[in-house]
Amino acid sequence: MADSTEEIHKAIKRIKLIGWVLAVFTVITVGLSYVELPTHTMNIVVGMIVAAFKAALVALIFMHLNHESPLIYKILAFTTAFALALFVLFVFSASDPLVFDSFYESNK
Amino acid sequence: MSAAATSHDHSHGADHAHDHHDEPGFLGKYVFSCDHKVIGIQYALSGLLFLLLGFFLMLLMRWSIAFPGQPVPGLQFVESLPGLGWLFHETLGRWAPGGVVNGELYNMLGAMHGTIMVFLGIVPLGFAGFVNFVMPLQIGTIDMAFPKLNMWSFWLFFVSGVLMLYSFFVGTGPVQTGWTMYSPLASTTTLAVSNVWAHGHTWWLTAMVFNISASLLGSVNVITTVINLRAKGMTWMRMPFFCWAMFVTSFLLLLAFPPLEVAALLQLVDRVFGASFFLPTGLMEGGQHLDISGGGSPLLYQHLFWFLAHPEVYVLILPAFAILAEVIPANTRRPLWGYKSMVYASLTLGFLSFLVWAHHMYLTGMGTMMSTYFQITTVLISVPSVILLTGLMISLWGGSIRFTPQMLFASAFLPMFGIGGLTGLPLAFTFIDLALHDTYYVIGHFHYVVAPGTIFALFAGVYHWYPKITGRIMSDFLGKLHFWPSLLGMNLIFAPMFIQGMGGFHRRWYDGGKYFEQTSSASNWVTELTSGVFGIFGMDVPNNLLGLNVLMSVGAFILALGQVPFILNVFLSIKGGKKVQSDNPWNCTTLEWATPTPPPHGNFTFEPVVTRGPYEYSVPGCSQDYLPQWESEPGKAATAPASTPAPVAHH
Amino acid sequence: MDIPYTVTARPDTGLYNAKVGIWLFLASEVMLFGGLFSSYIFLRVGADYHWPVHELDVRLGFVNTLVLIFSSVTVLLAWANLKLRNIGKFKLYMLLTVLCAMTFMVIKSFEYRAKFSHYAVKLTDGTFLTGHLPHGYEIKFGEATQLSFTVQSETAAIDADPDGYVLPFIQGDTPKFKTESGNEIILDKSTFKDLRSASLEAAKAAGKNSGSFKLVAASPLTFQAKPSQILGYTATTMTFRDGTVAQGKLLDDKMTLEVDGVDTRSVPDAEKSIAWGTQYLGDGWKKAFITNRDHAKKEFEEKYPTRDPQKSATHQKEAFYLKIKSSTPPSGEEHGDGHKAEAKAEGHGDDHSAHGHHPEVVLDKKDIAFYSNYTPKLNTYYAIYFTLTGLHGLHVVAGALVLTYFLLFDGKMLRNDPERLANRVEVGGLFWHFVDLVWIFLFPLLYLL
Repeated sequence: MADSTEEIHKAIKRIKLIGWVLAVFTVITVGLSYVELPTHTMNIVVGMIVAAFKAALVALIFMHLNHESPLIYKILAFTTAFALALFVLFVFSASDPLVFDSFYESNK
Repeated sequence: MSAAATSHDHSHGADHAHDHHDEPGFLGKYVFSCDHKVIGIQYALSGLLFLLLGFFLMLLMRWSIAFPGQPVPGLQFVESLPGLGWLFHETLGRWAPGGVVNGELYNMLGAMHGTIMVFLGIVPLGFAGFVNFVMPLQIGTIDMAFPKLNMWSFWLFFVSGVLMLYSFFVGTGPVQTGWTMYSPLASTTTLAVSNVWAHGHTWWLTAMVFNISASLLGSVNVITTVINLRAKGMTWMRMPFFCWAMFVTSFLLLLAFPPLEVAALLQLVDRVFGASFFLPTGLMEGGQHLDISGGGSPLLYQHLFWFLAHPEVYVLILPAFAILAEVIPANTRRPLWGYKSMVYASLTLGFLSFLVWAHHMYLTGMGTMMSTYFQITTVLISVPSVILLTGLMISLWGGSIRFTPQMLFASAFLPMFGIGGLTGLPLAFTFIDLALHDTYYVIGHFHYVVAPGTIFALFAGVYHWYPKITGRIMSDFLGKLHFWPSLLGMNLIFAPMFIQGMGGFHRRWYDGGKYFEQTSSASNWVTELTSGVFGIFGMDVPNNLLGLNVLMSVGAFILALGQVPFILNVFLSIKGGKKVQSDNPWNCTTLEWATPTPPPHGNFTFEPVVTRGPYEYSVPGCSQDYLPQWESEPGKAATAPASTPAPVAHH
Repeated sequence: MDIPYTVTARPDTGLYNAKVGIWLFLASEVMLFGGLFSSYIFLRVGADYHWPVHELDVRLGFVNTLVLIFSSVTVLLAWANLKLRNIGKFKLYMLLTVLCAMTFMVIKSFEYRAKFSHYAVKLTDGTFLTGHLPHGYEIKFGEATQLSFTVQSETAAIDADPDGYVLPFIQGDTPKFKTESGNEIILDKSTFKDLRSASLEAAKAAGKNSGSFKLVAASPLTFQAKPSQILGYTATTMTFRDGTVAQGKLLDDKMTLEVDGVDTRSVPDAEKSIAWGTQYLGDGWKKAFITNRDHAKKEFEEKYPTRDPQKSATHQKEAFYLKIKSSTPPSGEEHGDGHKAEAKAEGHGDDHSAHGHHPEVVLDKKDIAFYSNYTPKLNTYYAIYFTLTGLHGLHVVAGALVLTYFLLFDGKMLRNDPERLANRVEVGGLFWHFVDLVWIFLFPLLYLL
């Protein structure tokens, strides 16, 4: 983490800049949500991409994950992997891409 | 202590001066203590008490299974006692008119047996108790990284235990929906109560929220301590396997418990605010539509629940491996075989354990892709489990085994856990699980893993570290009197379950299957033998699968009797045990034996410096058969600059 | 005796203890919110109703997002200024952060409160009527002459307790009752206690655990209670939450609703919805609905000629979810446009208590399939909305308390060991950013998409 006076002054500037960027992207998110894309799923995907970008800014700059101990990266990597399992496997068990879709299509 | 302080260069003595002079009072020393050893003992004792309670509930269940409809002997007597009788009546007695366990009470007993054993018994004793007492000593530090948080962790756990017990006293009694609390049943049972707090379920969920918070605080503490507070020279690969296994266990608790907290919260919202997280559209009860919006999913609950509850299985079993990895080398005088592969196996086990949960849910109608995936990961996870067991087993090879009580329990663990593990393999496949799901086969499988498995290992741990805690060794004779009936009892209870399970006996029958006696009177040589042997004693036990119920219940009573010597041993040895001759009575190599007995506040009288791996037993050319981690040569403590700081950790 | 590495980092890991601790804690928080977001996805994928989009107040959510981003910046500035030993600025920025947290919670509570007083009623054909209950909704039950109590000798889930569960709902003066033995009493805690013990004694003599007795009212009683305050009712009985049963006659269980919206998205033929029946909204509103629907359809087809209106969630909402903003249906084609109607209803805005700007309908119980205010009970969307934002709110409060503690009660450490306090602030800040990070996902998922 920044320790010398000069570095901290630099950090303050960066923090303020990122704050503005986040605010701007919040406006963009709201605006995009009113744009009617071909499917609503696309709206969701676009919205989540913007949100992920903002979240990345917060994590990397505000939480200074851009230069952190390798140990923290390892812990977070495992956490992310398990969180992904939470998302992906849950949904697949509700709508198994191998079975359910084709099954219901053929019955329609 | 002062030596430890030198290891950090920042001086702010003024801030901490009071630490040296303040002599904490009784409360601060033994009740609201921040000392990791006291907290460990608190956890262990409460864990033992809960194990005993859970076991008692199981005894009532076993009676009902073996002799349905017959009054439990002694219940009437207990109820007539002053004080105790009132207590018993308010909790269980009011559900058992005439001392007969009915279906309702049986369901309560079943749910609470599971909950208490898993969340309030084994985890607090096996994980929290042992890790708090032993781990900081083994890595050579003065305390946990966050002592106050540690105290909070215990007291949150304590509150959760009290809340859980209180649910016995409320209007509906404790929960009746199994330890798994599956929705929609668990979300909708007996909603018609005067208010939500008259229902045991509300208390169960609240207690779980406290319990989970306690686990989180504890695991954050353990991981931080292992990462940041290891003594000089204690590199990752010099860490005793005990610490490794506990380290992995902490990660399981840290990352798997939150989804259960979510499940508990959502179910609480369902029950208290009438939401429909787990309730499907059009749900009816008693021929009437419930007053709910629907739109939720019972599957969601099962996913959230098993996302925790499968890693929880490894939370139950890894501490057992942790303890055995210390007990076995010390009693065989041989190094732990395959230390490195065991470390990597436990890490793999931890990782994979997050990805197998839905093998508990094969019957929920998952698609083939998902069930194939979960079958594959489930079979995969047996590989690291086998590596761990094999490592311990081969460690026996060529050793000169000392059959102390802890070693007896440890050596019994190996085949017992083997049976538990191997009987689990068939369940990994959907086509077998179709037949065996929810039968006694499953009960037999996981009880072999946790009862003669984990609990035996926990007993071994108690016998092993008792001298460090009290300065006295537990009685060898009582220990053996504890071991043999326990081994016999465990096997009498759980082995027949496999036979019954394959005969289709369902796990939740309060009458043990008597209702189906007319249609399912299969017999084989085991039932014949059972019937015959009981015949010798003049008992009329039917020659069919129902007869095994009596056999199992007798096993349970043998097991109960077998615990009496243990309880006596724990209490009597405090004053009457053989005094230890040195701080290292078992001639072990790990750092906890370098401390005075019992370890004082601050643990070490010198700054430990680690110079070698944890299991240097019977090193060729050495004058004694063990080389402690903290000694540069036999009898001489290593000194500070002996080793450079460890390189950046890889795990 | 000190724990090592509380202030300085351990050389080989490069971390001080609290930093390892907070990151581990955040990892578990990721799993906690991961589980909740995953539930959100699971519920949304499996939803069998129209998932609300843009239904919450976007303006409030937007403001709250900015407030949290601002507070994330200020908490970092506080830390940086503490590192520079600008104590005054440190305190100022810390105070700003805490104030932001309070602003966030105040805005949130306004949002919540508006939801609690807003209702949605699902009719038996799937139509949803939304609106307010100007008089609340209570069941009136009258001509009750007899109360039957069941008392338990042991702790039980349901045990007669009229003081808490029956008497509060009696209308009018304190009633008098006749016991079975003919005494005239006033029912209160002490008289009930006597009745109870007498009944239990009789039960005990008969070898039973529960006793029951009846009281006859001196003059007929009228009860009035919210449905959640009782267990159930029929045409002739009312059962209270303590199991007490009153015999009498159901007077009124109709619901008066000030309708501010009609949602026919789940009705096979929207024009045949019960809501347009003469006893409810009537033909005028039906016409307004049709005008609005056709208008929306035309607009959609002009804008997106190649798209299927059936598949557009926003179009479905615009066409089939009629917002009602005046007390009478707009007359003529042009007024079908919602904006015109709104202009007519002056002073409408958010002030839902103003009567007269919405048509009032009196709903028959037999037409109501389900109703709820906008709480977790209404549907899984509101359930997850309240759970997620509630839990997030708890985190905001917890974070604000910790930061306030650093600001107010760590003065000694600020003087003696500012570096250690800076570490504390850094760790508290990490938690605060995490709270912000969760909101960055919450806002679009719940308010926008």
